[in-house]
Amino acid sequence: MERRKFLGFGIFAAAAAFVPGTLSAEDYRKTKPAVWTAHTMEDAIAKMYGTNVTIEQGVTLTAPDVAANGGAVPVDFSSEIAAKSVAVFQSSNPEAAVCAFTLNENSVIDYSIKIKLKQSGTIIVVVEGKDGKLYSAKKSLNVALGGCEG
Amino acid sequence: MEIKAKLKDGVTTVKAMAKHPMLTYDTAKKQGVEANFITHIDATVNGKSVLDMSTSQFLSKNPIIKFSFKGAVAGDKITMTWVDLLGGTETSDAIIK
Repeated sequence: MERRKFLGFGIFAAAAAFVPGTLSAEDYRKTKPAVWTAHTMEDAIAKMYGTNVTIEQGVTLTAPDVAANGGAVPVDFSSEIAAKSVAVFQSSNPEAAVCAFTLNENSVIDYSIKIKLKQSGTIIVVVEGKDGKLYSAKKSLNVALGGCEG
Repeated sequence: MEIKAKLKDGVTTVKAMAKHPMLTYDTAKKQGVEANFITHIDATVNGKSVLDMSTSQFLSKNPIIKFSFKGAVAGDKITMTWVDLLGGTETSDAIIK
């Protein structure tokens, strides 16, 4: 009996050891579909991380104060925080989520992307620290010409 | 996909552009076509993930992404793949300089 229990435990341990490997390539569109249909930033962050309480420090976010063309607004963000994931949201478009990155030990949080903004609003970058806390940076900007037309 | 990868002080910085219209639901509705946009982009070096990005319709048309990672050496090959909503996919690679 004891030996059987021991073997059973061994199988569980092996299964547990494999789990992190599969999680390291997470497609958030499949695992968290509700994030991508949420309409507000608060709702989307809550759907992604279970809470929308973030600490506003440790993350650097750069975006123009006034975007002449909402079709391609440059957004740069970086952080030194040891993190599991990074996600970008905004309040200008019908849905809030823009993108989400899964990080591993080789990742450096230093990204530049170009996004579409339909109207003036706020961009927020959320970094999920390995300590389980959420860190963020916010930036409000004006959009002169909305970018969802093309 | 156009990819440029440069190594400096142990950190590889990659600039990549995917050719894609990134049609949002709104735009597609107006044009009477089906929405289609890149939903996932990943990059690997020597079989290890260096970028794993889930994306929405709000990346710009022909989206440009810049990202960085550690652990590669000059001469390594970086392979990037995107997948879109309708199942389209493209894979490209480049050598890290």
